[in-house]
Amino acid sequence: MTSMFTPDTEWLTLEWHQATVAAGRLCMQRCSDCGRWRHPPRRYCAECFSSESSFVAVAGSGTVESYAVSYRSLDPAWQERAPYATLVVELDEGPRVLAVTELQPSEVAIGRRVDLRIDARSDDFAVLWADPAT
Amino acid sequence: MNLAGQAALVGIGETDYVRGSDQHVADLILQAAMEAITDAGMRPPDIDGVIPPPGFLSTEEIAAHLGIPDVAYHVSVLMGGASPTAALQTAAMAVTCGVAEAVLVCMGWNGYSALRPRADAKPTTRRMNVGPMGEAVRNVYAPYGLLSPAQQYSLYLRRYVDTYKLSEDGAAAVALACRAHAQLNDKALMRGRPLTREEYDASPFIAEPLRKFDCCVETDCATAVVVTTLERARDLPHRPVVYLGGAEGHPMPADEIINRPNLLELGIHRAAPRAFERAGLGPHDIDVLEIYDCFTYVVLLQLEALGYAEPGGASDFVTGGTIELGGRFPMNTHGGLLSQGHCWGLNHVVEAVRQLRHSAGKAQVPGAEVALVTGYGDLGDGSVAILGRDR
Ligand SMILES: [Zn+2]
Repeated sequence: MTSMFTPDTEWLTLEWHQATVAAGRLCMQRCSDCGRWRHPPRRYCAECFSSESSFVAVAGSGTVESYAVSYRSLDPAWQERAPYATLVVELDEGPRVLAVTELQPSEVAIGRRVDLRIDARSDDFAVLWADPAT
Repeated sequence: MNLAGQAALVGIGETDYVRGSDQHVADLILQAAMEAITDAGMRPPDIDGVIPPPGFLSTEEIAAHLGIPDVAYHVSVLMGGASPTAALQTAAMAVTCGVAEAVLVCMGWNGYSALRPRADAKPTTRRMNVGPMGEAVRNVYAPYGLLSPAQQYSLYLRRYVDTYKLSEDGAAAVALACRAHAQLNDKALMRGRPLTREEYDASPFIAEPLRKFDCCVETDCATAVVVTTLERARDLPHRPVVYLGGAEGHPMPADEIINRPNLLELGIHRAAPRAFERAGLGPHDIDVLEIYDCFTYVVLLQLEALGYAEPGGASDFVTGGTIELGGRFPMNTHGGLLSQGHCWGLNHVVEAVRQLRHSAGKAQVPGAEVALVTGYGDLGDGSVAILGRDR
């Protein structure tokens, strides 16, 4: 399979990826003052406007809130997989992330429980994969 | 200050909608701009405000190439497909406040050729300004296989279809109405290519729930309008089209889709009540709808946000001929982005002006007095303009 597009990220996005790859498990940004989760990473908390935060490991399980089923992709690596599902997963801690999956589109449904695993492409970028919850 | 009734649209310009233009993208934009100025009964020196397209050509270049000697006001509106309709509000503000007397709003692009250039074409280095969408697509969506707007928007359109257990009837009704209206429009890309429900049902999925015929058509095209004060407009050749009110709105967060508390709440949900309040009108005061139709299901969501149906109810609203010419709320009488061509919704504004001048030809809505135009762009920004025929 040809390789999938991996961006060179920067700033807060890069910090999130680096924290996740370094920990070997999904980490999410959390406000140091009020505890609110922030995703995607934000400079200030939308609840208390604090700039203090850290990346904290989460359980890595969640529920499918929505999903896309793509039949065509401009990326040849993805076109080989078509049709494929991309999931919007609401983590049990609250924030939502995207995840790719080996599940067939027909196996995906809103409300389905999934576990996430890390696919580190480098020290600076990780892709999340969703597997059926064990 | 209320902008209602202070400003008017006095000139319109529009190129053909084609796949693979002979013209450079800059020439398309300048042609539409000059046509709008001429249509307004003006010459370039009468223009002193410019709102350029989001990319491709700058205000500085537009002024120099058209021969506008004194630009007193320039602003860029970067809300993707919500930009042109939002720009009307900005233009109305400028002329009402007096920082400019006449504002040229331009849109145009090589929406087809940029992706599929002709073999003999010299490539242009001019690009659209993708704004915040560029960051989100590169960092968040593309690594997950979601490169196109159809894929990205399907993240919440799936939720919409699932939540309300929608059949495809509503989306098909939107696609078929736009295609039917395009048959009446000499400039529509899809003129001469009518669409049946059977063809819609047989069309392949691009990204569920979006089939090929749920998606707008990529085109090379340009449009422009001129906005000035209503007072001045009354001395110009055409009956003025009055800016009765409008608004913009942004979902929160606007820079990415999936962490909005309600995936189905878009910018237009905030813009629509503001626009109606400012215009002192309600949904049932509208004679013509020009709804931003990048994708059919996005039209349905907007109709609900505007109050034409309860959440999940727009599919019922659009079936049975309501949005076709002859129905109570004729929609996208030019064919829309789905079947006329994709000019970022400034083509919807141009059509609304034609309707309110009563010069829309075979697509004319008899006695049209008030039209509503929407814009939708980037990852869910929204804009609304309510326009009326001067009495
Ligand atoms: Zn906080």
